[in-house]
Amino acid sequence: MNNKERDDSLQRKDITSTGVALLVKSVSVKKPKRFFEERSLPPIEISPWRLRYQSRRDFLVFGAGALATLAGAGFLLPQDTLGRLGVRRNVDSPGKEWFLNQALRIDDDVAEALYSVNRRVPTYTKSQITPLKNNYNGATPDPGYIPGWKLTLDGLASGLGISLDIRNLLTRFSVHEQITRLVCVEGWSAVAWWAGLRLDDLIRAYPPMSRAKWARVESSVNLDASGNPDPYYMSLDLATARHPQTLLATHFNGQALTVDHGAPLRLLVPVKLGLKNVKAVTGITYLAAEPRDYWAERGYSRYDGV
Amino acid sequence: MSHSTLPDCEPNSASTSPEQPGVLVVRKHHFLVRWSHWLNIPILLGLILSGISIYWASPVYQHKPDPNTGNFDVAADIGIWICAHVPGQRNYGSPPDWIYNHMSLGPGMLATALRLHWLCAYLFMLNGIVYVAGLVRGGGWRSLLPRWTDLLDAPRMFRYYVGFPFAKLARRQWPHPLFNTKYNALQRTAYFSVPAAGLLSVGTGWAIHKPIQLHWLAALFGGYNAARVWHFWLLWVYMFFVVPHVILVFADGWDTLRSMIVGWSTRVERSEVVPNEQ
Repeated sequence: MNNKERDDSLQRKDITSTGVALLVKSVSVKKPKRFFEERSLPPIEISPWRLRYQSRRDFLVFGAGALATLAGAGFLLPQDTLGRLGVRRNVDSPGKEWFLNQALRIDDDVAEALYSVNRRVPTYTKSQITPLKNNYNGATPDPGYIPGWKLTLDGLASGLGISLDIRNLLTRFSVHEQITRLVCVEGWSAVAWWAGLRLDDLIRAYPPMSRAKWARVESSVNLDASGNPDPYYMSLDLATARHPQTLLATHFNGQALTVDHGAPLRLLVPVKLGLKNVKAVTGITYLAAEPRDYWAERGYSRYDGV
Repeated sequence: MSHSTLPDCEPNSASTSPEQPGVLVVRKHHFLVRWSHWLNIPILLGLILSGISIYWASPVYQHKPDPNTGNFDVAADIGIWICAHVPGQRNYGSPPDWIYNHMSLGPGMLATALRLHWLCAYLFMLNGIVYVAGLVRGGGWRSLLPRWTDLLDAPRMFRYYVGFPFAKLARRQWPHPLFNTKYNALQRTAYFSVPAAGLLSVGTGWAIHKPIQLHWLAALFGGYNAARVWHFWLLWVYMFFVVPHVILVFADGWDTLRSMIVGWSTRVERSEVVPNEQ
């Protein structure tokens, strides 16, 4: 409220409450000289009754807000955390998951708005390359799968299923190199030098069906922590799949991919978190609807754009 | 609650008996400022707890893995040290997790922590907008602007606060430095720096959330890895602020605390020395 308004209302008050000198004390009449100069706080007179009423109301609202916050925290915090705070009762509710997923969707929508298919990912020089650890979530597969490896394509315009071996891929498509940053959802990142074919070139050679908007990229050789088969599947929108820096990488730092890094073919999609960069890709299926995603089913974002 | 500004058009004022004298007050905090101030507590708590859970997944401060335990996380080392040296913690079940069990949502819950972090981060940004709106509408922003005299006056206030308990113990005179503004120089510095830190937290947060799409923002903070370090240390700015802030509010008295709930203060005479102002 600015001073003019206040003056007006004070005048009004003067009229309504006749006889009561409600406007008192030397209200600092001195006009501030500069825009940024601090104004002194003008004293105002208020009836004790009114002050009590307002203060009581504000304290009640404050208390209600504090209780609502506590209830909200109890609703949102993970069961483990609440357990350590002494809450033994199971308060996990489906509403919690739903609510947190809604918040995640908002973030995904904001991220998608930031995203541009045409924007290139920054590239680096060879001197900026950093080590990249093997971050297979489960056990690293035994390299025995590599000699018999094939890439299968489904959901194509031709209606046929295609199966390609690494020789087909390397001879038919031109090789592109890039040094880009791979960002992990855990927080670490690595600058690495990749080479391989563009996924876009593969899509041009084997066009998806016309309704297709999504790709399901999977690795059937993926293992869980105890070494049992645990197929990995990941959703990727076709626009990102066709981004010029989305590669099917065959080489890492100048060498053929090792099993640690997803030999013989790894999806490299630098506009997405590392968990979308599927190692040892064995199949790509084009779909009209968004497919399931391994990590989205485990509480992570399904979009994962960086 | 429609209006929390103090009444100026008062329909019932005629009914208050003319004999009852009015109370002199000043409007100290706009209601949007007060609301966003209190909302910062749950929001920042949520950000810090989930943030340290996220930190667990890939600690910024690491060393070569310990040959015996395989541990590489400095925060885990601190937990192990606490369990070895702090009485009552000797039998703690999982020493490397001590820090995460006491300062975060807990270890091993990255997905939940990320979702809570995003939720709180959006609320934090909205709350920041509400705060700035309150500062603008109430005119309070002018009181927060730093001025050149703060360079000398802020250390003077710091010396006063630090020396106050000792002076009391020694029964020495310890005069409060004079000032005639809404806040003293040290408060002003703090109340200006903390919102600025909030802005930097949001900036570094976006830089590490979208380091490819917003790579110019990450570059502004020295790259992705440097932005993570910034983001981590900004958390300690809030920690270092909150402790003296709370102590001084209580030391200063009921009027100061109450003014952040009700908006008004009975301390109207600003031009004179305020004996013990928070």
